[in-house]
Amino acid sequence: MDVELTLNGEDVTLTAAQSDTLLDALRGAGYTGTKRGCGTGDCGFCTVAVDGESVKSCLQPVARVEGATVETIENLGTQDELHPVQAAFVDNAALQCGFCIPGMIMRVTQLLESNPDPDEREIREALSGNICRCTGYEKIVDAVQDAATRLSNDGAVVSDGGRPVSSNRSCVDCGGCHGGDGE
Amino acid sequence: MSRTEDGDEETTPDGASQTDAPPVEFEEGPDNRRGPDELTAVSSREEKADARKIVTGEAKYTADYAREFPDLAAAKVLRSTVANGVVTAIDTSAAEEMDGVYAVVTPDSPEVPNDPYTSAGQSYPEPSPYDLRVLRKRVRYVGDPIAAVAAEDVATASAAVQAIDVTYDERDAVFDAETAIEPDAPRIHDPERVENHQPGADYERNIEAHAEGEIGDVDGAFEAAADRSDLTVVETEWATPHQSHCVGEPHTTIARRDQDDRYHFITSTQVPYHARRQLARLFDVPIRDIRVTKPRIGGGFGGKQSIVLEPIALALTMATDRPVKLEATRKEEFHAMRVRRPASITVRSVVTDEGDLEAIDMSVLTNSGAYGSHGLTASGAIGKKQLALYTHTPNIRLEMTAAHTNLPVAGAMRGYGAPQGHFALEGHMDAVARELGMDPLEFRSRNVIGEGDLDVASSILKEGDGEIKGGARRVRSCGLPECIERGKAAIGWGDVEQPDAPHLHRGIGAALTIQSSGVPNDELGAAHIKMNEDGSFILQTGAVDIGTGADTAMAQIAAEILGARPEDILVQPSDTDVSPFDYGAYASSTTYVTGTAVKKAAQDAREQLFDFAARMLGEPRDTLTARDGAVYAERSGESVSLEAIGYESIYGDEERAQVMGEASHSTPESPPPFGAQFADVTVDERTGEFEVHDLVYAIDCGTVINPDLAEGQVTGAMHMSYELAVGSGFSFDDDGQPEVVGFGDYGIPKADTQPPLTPIFVETHEPSGPFGAKAVAEIPTNGVPPALSNAIRDAVGVRIDDLPITAEKIRAALDAE
Repeated sequence: MDVELTLNGEDVTLTAAQSDTLLDALRGAGYTGTKRGCGTGDCGFCTVAVDGESVKSCLQPVARVEGATVETIENLGTQDELHPVQAAFVDNAALQCGFCIPGMIMRVTQLLESNPDPDEREIREALSGNICRCTGYEKIVDAVQDAATRLSNDGAVVSDGGRPVSSNRSCVDCGGCHGGDGE
Repeated sequence: MSRTEDGDEETTPDGASQTDAPPVEFEEGPDNRRGPDELTAVSSREEKADARKIVTGEAKYTADYAREFPDLAAAKVLRSTVANGVVTAIDTSAAEEMDGVYAVVTPDSPEVPNDPYTSAGQSYPEPSPYDLRVLRKRVRYVGDPIAAVAAEDVATASAAVQAIDVTYDERDAVFDAETAIEPDAPRIHDPERVENHQPGADYERNIEAHAEGEIGDVDGAFEAAADRSDLTVVETEWATPHQSHCVGEPHTTIARRDQDDRYHFITSTQVPYHARRQLARLFDVPIRDIRVTKPRIGGGFGGKQSIVLEPIALALTMATDRPVKLEATRKEEFHAMRVRRPASITVRSVVTDEGDLEAIDMSVLTNSGAYGSHGLTASGAIGKKQLALYTHTPNIRLEMTAAHTNLPVAGAMRGYGAPQGHFALEGHMDAVARELGMDPLEFRSRNVIGEGDLDVASSILKEGDGEIKGGARRVRSCGLPECIERGKAAIGWGDVEQPDAPHLHRGIGAALTIQSSGVPNDELGAAHIKMNEDGSFILQTGAVDIGTGADTAMAQIAAEILGARPEDILVQPSDTDVSPFDYGAYASSTTYVTGTAVKKAAQDAREQLFDFAARMLGEPRDTLTARDGAVYAERSGESVSLEAIGYESIYGDEERAQVMGEASHSTPESPPPFGAQFADVTVDERTGEFEVHDLVYAIDCGTVINPDLAEGQVTGAMHMSYELAVGSGFSFDDDGQPEVVGFGDYGIPKADTQPPLTPIFVETHEPSGPFGAKAVAEIPTNGVPPALSNAIRDAVGVRIDDLPITAEKIRAALDAE
């Protein structure tokens, strides 16, 4: 079965079995930043964005994303040029083993798009579907608050006309634009 | 604080005078700098070495290597659906005929060893019985592996497993430890079929191990108490449930035969070298013909000390001559990997009216589940780990039994018995203080161990004529008094404002905690460091970073010695072909043991740096120091950069020799970290519902190598400790079928249900540790259950002594009053 979709800003065709989930298809195609933790939608490690919404890709039949716009962790920053959310996780030491982190960061980027200035309660509720076994969540909450500040500051720079919105990958420069998905 | 300072003679567990006890003084090396003024790389909030590849999704865990092997087979395991029985027939014909199935293996397959092994992943000789077979016809719990399939993909392997037809002769099963040790209980193991029996094993009564030890005369103390009005006897009972490690990354292994006809594993293990040794023995392959590579690991917490998937994957690799990947499902994680052992604990004590402990008598019964791993040592740790806090008590007795049942297999889990033991002992101390009408912390401070003291209680258990492991231990660093004071201030001890509503009651509880830094006399860490010509270094250790940040801490330790920046120390992940030996990531040993090996290896390399620098600068080498990326001559102020030395060492005209340092470290020392846990709770007396406002933990782990990483260790461990206190544990139906098979059934605290966690660091300087460091990883898992139980007692006057703490239990206890 071939599934055509927009993946990380590019039109791609994923070859998958009928029974495959989006997670199966992504990992099979080499997008291994998306992690498998449970297969039942409970851990959140496999969180990606589908048409701008957070989706647990282990529950999503790949056939359902035909024509959709999908974004994975690979579409955010690079190690040299981290996305502000990624940079906030690094600078707040909000990670240990790291297995939950790609899904966590995808959830956080979507949260901050829909709610750019969440309070701690809102952050904790938004992350309730993303388990972390290592951190106790303290530094993750710190990182999300820091990321919100960074994104709003970047936005201020852009609104001043200081920096152009450019490519999908250089999200540090794009001031919170989310993968060029039409914002 | 120390009662031994009052003139009591220090004695060993068998009463002999401690003339050869470890001295108070410890000769530190010249480099064991202390304090922020002297330290550069150590004590800094260095960025975790793998942070950027983690946040970009580029960090590679075992499953992410699958794409490197185009002919990889996917594997699935058929597991027992009965709790106790014998497989009388296995029909694999339908599975074998399926398209895309490469091999089906059963206990009868030639590739599957028939000799028993232990999954414990411990050092050699293992203190665990060899009672497991790779695949089993005699099944002992729901989850025992019976057969396995390798196929072209996971879906095919799963379908093939479903198509295998198994016939069982089912037997009566037993699920609780108390029943299992009765004479008429179903017998789970045939002692003739078990090798490496452990002390006290009695398979006629389903006992995996039993040990006991005594200091002084405990019966005499209780007899005296019966006759005297100034002595009080307090007796309490405690129970703790199963706990799952809930590793993020499920256990995953890739096994393959390489071009040199050797077996290569990429596997999510905490113990590469122990896994290699056990696999070699089990499959009768020379150790040299097995290679274990550890990639990034998605959390271990003791769960990945167990060797559970690797043997099955290797049998399938042999059967198919293909690389095989076997990845546990989350359901398998919950019931077929390893768990924290439930425990029933009785504590009795004798105390004087003044609050001096005269005797402690502790009895422990644990549920090992179907197979023995860690039964002797983890069950023993339930008592002896925290009895060390009250080692001044003149009469102490500990008795432990690990019993087999037809439930999931207990193994190692962060804290290693200490969480169960702390719940009992620190709950008991609270009960004693209340009985005496004393402040619970003043009572403890009167009795607790302190700096300079000798801990004899932690070596109380004996095996035959000797102790199980470790002897008397000298405490050379102890920040416990400051932990108590700072924790009290942070939580508001004695200064609680009660809610206005009359049905709400607020309370504060506390618990003291202790752990070790590695297993004394039973560790080896080794390190090798070599210099590149650009002044950077490659550091190889067998230290297994399972997500903790150990690699980063090792780089900081080496950088501190070499005068380099931590990012200039590249730490290689452990690989048994490449890395120096290491016992693995367990027992809170990595920073203390392997960290010392790294420090010594860096010192060795620095001596070589100084040889070159002395010649290049024309200065005597005893005036040289390494700092700020260079070697300085203190007399002249001249310096030569590490890069210049790197080029000179490799391309110079006078003498060429690569700078390479190496060292091993093994030690009888295992200095205890200390800590004080506090909980602040409000209880609704109408419903028993409670809200935890704050969990404060003040810890003395010696020097903090990296505050960011250490804070993460403490909050993460407190999260696990809170889960043990209030989580759901496991449940099983009457036939032993697991009812908790996913995160949805299990009470893991999530971002919105985890109460605030506040770590406080009380830095001390441990002279035997690298730059004064002790262990940090496990000790914070110990304190929340007793602190929260004590807080609820403080709030509403009832004590919950069986975990988890629930509103229903509180309500029932209030009703019973």
